[in-house]
Amino acid sequence: MGQAQSRMNDTELIREAQRGNHAAFEELVRQYDGAVLRLAYHLTRSEQDAQDIYQEAFLKAYRNINNFRFECSFYTWIYRIVTNLCLDLLRKRQVRKEDSGIAVDSEGGTYDLMDQVADQRSGASPERDLMRRELGARIAKALTKLTPRERMVFEMKHYQGLKLRTIGEILNTTEETAKNTLFRGTQKLRAALRDMK
Amino acid sequence: MNCDWVQQNVSLYLYNELADDARHELEQHIQRCKACAAELAAQQEFQAQMNALVVEEPSASFLASARMRLQEALESAEQHRAWYHRFVFDPTAWLRQVRFSPALAAVLLLVGFGSGLGTMYSALGSKAPHPASQNTIQEASIGGITSIEHKPNSNDVKIQYQRIVPDSVEGSISDPQIQEMLTFAARNNFNNSGVRLDSVDLLTSKPDDPRVREALTYALRFDSNPGVRLKALDGLKDYVKQDIRVRNAVLDALLNDSNLGVRAGALKALEPVRADTSVRMALQQLAKSDPSEYIRTESDRELASMPAID
Repeated sequence: MGQAQSRMNDTELIREAQRGNHAAFEELVRQYDGAVLRLAYHLTRSEQDAQDIYQEAFLKAYRNINNFRFECSFYTWIYRIVTNLCLDLLRKRQVRKEDSGIAVDSEGGTYDLMDQVADQRSGASPERDLMRRELGARIAKALTKLTPRERMVFEMKHYQGLKLRTIGEILNTTEETAKNTLFRGTQKLRAALRDMK
Repeated sequence: MNCDWVQQNVSLYLYNELADDARHELEQHIQRCKACAAELAAQQEFQAQMNALVVEEPSASFLASARMRLQEALESAEQHRAWYHRFVFDPTAWLRQVRFSPALAAVLLLVGFGSGLGTMYSALGSKAPHPASQNTIQEASIGGITSIEHKPNSNDVKIQYQRIVPDSVEGSISDPQIQEMLTFAARNNFNNSGVRLDSVDLLTSKPDDPRVREALTYALRFDSNPGVRLKALDGLKDYVKQDIRVRNAVLDALLNDSNLGVRAGALKALEPVRADTSVRMALQQLAKSDPSEYIRTESDRELASMPAID
């Protein structure tokens, strides 16, 4: 489906949702919720927090759908809500200094973020597995050196593959500012990874 | 273009964020500047290193549980109205509000109680209240109660209400007004599953209309009667390939419907799109752990008949 077609469908769905049509809003949710949950989960590394952000974001969108003026796409709008919620959480965590390489699953159990590090080959050797886990720990620690905003820009550019212009729109800033934030974040990450070698 | 500029923009080059002319100039500069070529290599290595942290797609069950929780919360959530909406009358929204209002049920009870006591009613617009008779209440469909007043020192209650007068409409299935009535009946006739089944049955002859598909999708997702859901599925099954919303609704029915017949129908309807990632993931999950042996076996069979993916 082309972008223009999808945007047109979104417009119809939003108008229906603004008239109080639940089903139309649920269709909108289904179009974007996979991406929303993936972003929230990769950023928070906690199934519980990711689910809370998902829930809060779509509830906010539902409550405020009548204020949506079609000045940006629904995609940008919902991402703006999600990134604000994620930024709030990252800031709270930074104050509590909780962010670490440990993730929390939906049942409250913890697992090591290193397990999320890709292993490209099957039957990896124990040495390679160890190296993989060490690299994962280094990346996770390096990411904690970024400010929440730098982390968000890096996440959306590097891991979610969004264009800097879109990132600027989502964060209510200019493409130039998003570019500078990405540069600062990248420099910090490279320095942190170099220091940990 | 100098070395400072190149070193600041080398990551944008790798992310394909530079304009064509800047990209070309940067490539030219790299060919003749060893320091900047080294910076490019270092940035490439850094990005490859960061790629070691994979972004996992949320599992089907994780997504399903998030959706379920949201759906519950949405049932009690209310929309904030924009200020100008206060001055606009929307009859469909008003009807929905009236239908869902628990207060209406309470008021209907009051009406029954009141009529038993010989209370007085008045129709909106009429100046003098007229005595209630069982006949008027039965004939009138109550659209909304506007006020209730208990007269002091008496058993009398005055209730002002609006009536919806029964009416009928006739026309061809292709008539937009008839189609609108049918989609309304498919969504809103809560107490009469026979009417819903009839309307969904008629709508299945027009699935090429997106509004009809939307009404059928709604029936598949939310109708309480499995017969209506099966009928809606039947009308939608040819559209799983071309309409992503239909595909999502059928996939949801496969994963979450309480009726095994609907789930089996959904599994069959998804055959043309079984290679789709979301469908494949759902089939893998079902083949592994679904409580129904039939669904497990059929999902397994679907997966086995798919070409292997490297």
